[in-house]
Amino acid sequence: MMKKVGEVVLLWLLILFIQIAAGEGYSPPGKPTNISCRSPEKETFTCWWQPGSDGGLPTTYALYYRKEGSERVFECPDYKTAGKNSCFFSKNVTSIWVNYNITVVATNSMGNTFSNPVDIDVVYIVKPNPPEEVVVSVTEDKDWPFLQVSWKPPKMADTRSGWITLIYEVRLKLENENKWEELSAGQRKIFKIYSLRSGGTYDVQVRCKPDHGFWSEWSPTTRVKVPEYLPQERSMWILIVVFAAFILIICIWMIYMNFHSVKHYLLPPVPGPKIKGIDKQLLKSGKSEDIFSSLVVSNFPPTTSNYEDFLVQYLEVYVPEERELIMDEGKDLQDDSFKTENSTCDNDSGRGSCDSHTLLIDKGGGDKDDGQQTDQEGSQAEAETKSHEEVMEEEHLACCHENAQIPNISKEKEKVKSWPSLFSPLPQYSLSPVNRPNKPKMGNQHCLSDGLFTPNSLSSYFTQPGPSTTKGFRSNYWECSLDHKQSHLLHPQTAAHEHLQAENDLNAAYVDYMGAPLDVHELSVRPTEYVEVQRVSDEDVVLLHPVTPSQENSYTVSHQTEDYSRVRMVNNNNGLLLLQRDDIEEEKNMCPYEEEMVSRATSTGCRASVTPTLQNSATGINTALPILDEKAASGYVDTATMFGLPTY
Amino acid sequence: MQKTVVQWGLWALLLWPQHLAASIPLDCRDDQGNLSRCTSISQEKLLDRVIHHAELIYRVSEELSSLFEELFIPFPFRLQSNQAAYSCITKALPIPSSKSEVQQISDKWLLHSVLMLVQSWIEPLVYLQMTMERYDHAPDMLLNKTKWVSEKLSSLEQGVVVLIKKMLDENTLATGYGEQGVVQNDVQPEVLESVMRDYTLLSCFKKDAHKMETFLKLLKCRQTDKYNCA
Repeated sequence: MMKKVGEVVLLWLLILFIQIAAGEGYSPPGKPTNISCRSPEKETFTCWWQPGSDGGLPTTYALYYRKEGSERVFECPDYKTAGKNSCFFSKNVTSIWVNYNITVVATNSMGNTFSNPVDIDVVYIVKPNPPEEVVVSVTEDKDWPFLQVSWKPPKMADTRSGWITLIYEVRLKLENENKWEELSAGQRKIFKIYSLRSGGTYDVQVRCKPDHGFWSEWSPTTRVKVPEYLPQERSMWILIVVFAAFILIICIWMIYMNFHSVKHYLLPPVPGPKIKGIDKQLLKSGKSEDIFSSLVVSNFPPTTSNYEDFLVQYLEVYVPEERELIMDEGKDLQDDSFKTENSTCDNDSGRGSCDSHTLLIDKGGGDKDDGQQTDQEGSQAEAETKSHEEVMEEEHLACCHENAQIPNISKEKEKVKSWPSLFSPLPQYSLSPVNRPNKPKMGNQHCLSDGLFTPNSLSSYFTQPGPSTTKGFRSNYWECSLDHKQSHLLHPQTAAHEHLQAENDLNAAYVDYMGAPLDVHELSVRPTEYVEVQRVSDEDVVLLHPVTPSQENSYTVSHQTEDYSRVRMVNNNNGLLLLQRDDIEEEKNMCPYEEEMVSRATSTGCRASVTPTLQNSATGINTALPILDEKAASGYVDTATMFGLPTY
Repeated sequence: MQKTVVQWGLWALLLWPQHLAASIPLDCRDDQGNLSRCTSISQEKLLDRVIHHAELIYRVSEELSSLFEELFIPFPFRLQSNQAAYSCITKALPIPSSKSEVQQISDKWLLHSVLMLVQSWIEPLVYLQMTMERYDHAPDMLLNKTKWVSEKLSSLEQGVVVLIKKMLDENTLATGYGEQGVVQNDVQPEVLESVMRDYTLLSCFKKDAHKMETFLKLLKCRQTDKYNCA
């Protein structure tokens, strides 16, 4: 007993010792791993395994399988067909109805090792062979070639009967690229590829997969070259370039032909100066004297010889509603020499009030109905405004202007100027004031009254641009006093433009006459100036002739000025108040003096001093001095009482 | 004695891993699993495969029959669909032949009917396979189809057997119903008779294949919706 046990133990030890002693690396084989089976057509399948270490001894491998539901263990029928470490299951032993349980056993002299068993369902391990007979052809289709790829299913797979249903996939890439582009082809065996690169070389491959299974390997590469088809595009581009060049040439030629009109359109010429008398050539030559010679009016400042002309030009008598006199404003002269500013009655703040209807109406509440008044006022206003704003020189100028104007009136006999609003037909020499037209006179009155009573306001009305604005003031007068018909007088300032420019038939003779701003001071210089009414035309035109000043007034004589009188106003008693102008210097001196006498308007003071003389000088005009004084103080003079001077 | 016991014990110890390995249940993984770990194929899948099998067989048999008819049968001799029923070899089988009968039999009988049909046609198809080669100018397609059908039928038989075992838990023997002596091969018939006989055979087989397919599909329908199947 003991011996047998000992033998067994010894046997065990011997076995172990042999194994240990002989094993400088000898050991049972390693476990086979990675058993994978594949079926190419769902009728047969093959299994491969990965052998482990052989333990240094020759090792044999055996594959055993067991079918589902049965305990019988079978061994692999074919180790050869599929290569090393493989087992091939033929059709007879392959069943799609049952699972297979497969085990691989590695055996060597030291022992054997079993692998992990694997369950196989033949249907799910189908991996078909790659598609066969892949044909790639280049097909020309309207100059846009495309590739047509066709193939056959692998022979082993029975797709004809429907035993296996395969789906295919095509991939292609350019010859020198690395990225494949994969395209799914479904179950069909023909595939077309568009959008090819002209002149490129493509590699095409196809593979397939059953509905439950694995993708096959890619078929061998088929190489194909795409012909060039781009040159036709180039010819089209050449055509486009030629066409565009042709159109461009035509456009350039057209522009060249119409160069001037195009240039005129794009760069309109700068309007040159439109001054009469200015010669551009002279300008370019640079001789300033010559240039401005034309600008300079020879008779500016107006000399004594020209005063009469001026007077004649601007003396107008207003005839109510019936007469329209074309007033010669002497625009040419004026424009050249004085640059009449039409904007005297514009929207400037200073002058805007002149436009004001209400203002004028308010101011005109006095007895000043005559246009004379307005005239006088206007002139007075001008004078005042000027006095307010202007420099002394301007005042001198204004006085001179006025002086210049006065003689003109007398001398100009041909010119007939109506004084419609101011004078009614004079029965005698006396100047009877014309029946005043209502409205227009009102306008006149307004102006005058404004001038008389509100010199300040008038000054605001008539902003004085400067010495050159004498004309402008005249224009103001035009408007202020006359133009009854158009009722522009209500807005003397604003209408100044229009009158000057468009209306020659302003009836305010004395407006222009009085255009030169009356300086109150100036007026007062010569109170004793007399004006003779030269004649009275049947048209109720009064021509005034300046009378040589009486000896009383030495100023006038010394200056030998052609004093002119300005009809200040015509009262309702048909009194004509004429204002006289003295020399500038002396007027100025006198006027302030006179001004002191008078409370308000300095011009009235001037006038007041004048009126007595006027009374004496005016022919046919009966004036009462005291009355005149009164009236003068109020800015209103009865012409009838004024003129009493018979002398011529 | 003790030695043998000890030896057996040693061998048992050595072989122990295998037993252990064999008895471990494995997870069942469906379709895409590289190696499906299921111990057995599910019943639905099996039935689907059997039906698919039967469909294929019927389709190929239809092609085979029409091809044979075109090639070898003159026009006046062509049978109509309702004429060859009584001359089929399987007319003696207890198979339901009308729709009403089919609706009445149980699943078990349905399966057994299919099995009977399949098993009864295995031999004749082998015979057909042999006779086809005797025809002159028989195209390869004819021969291949015949061969294919024969093979698939055998496979179908195996499937049905497995199906029966799975559904009914019955063990049946394959080719149990196959009648050996159906076709007489010893007599060399006349050409025309032989041709007509073959033609009749193919026609009958085509009909029976259609029956197999129909039964199996009905069976499948009964699995899902018992009371709504036609």
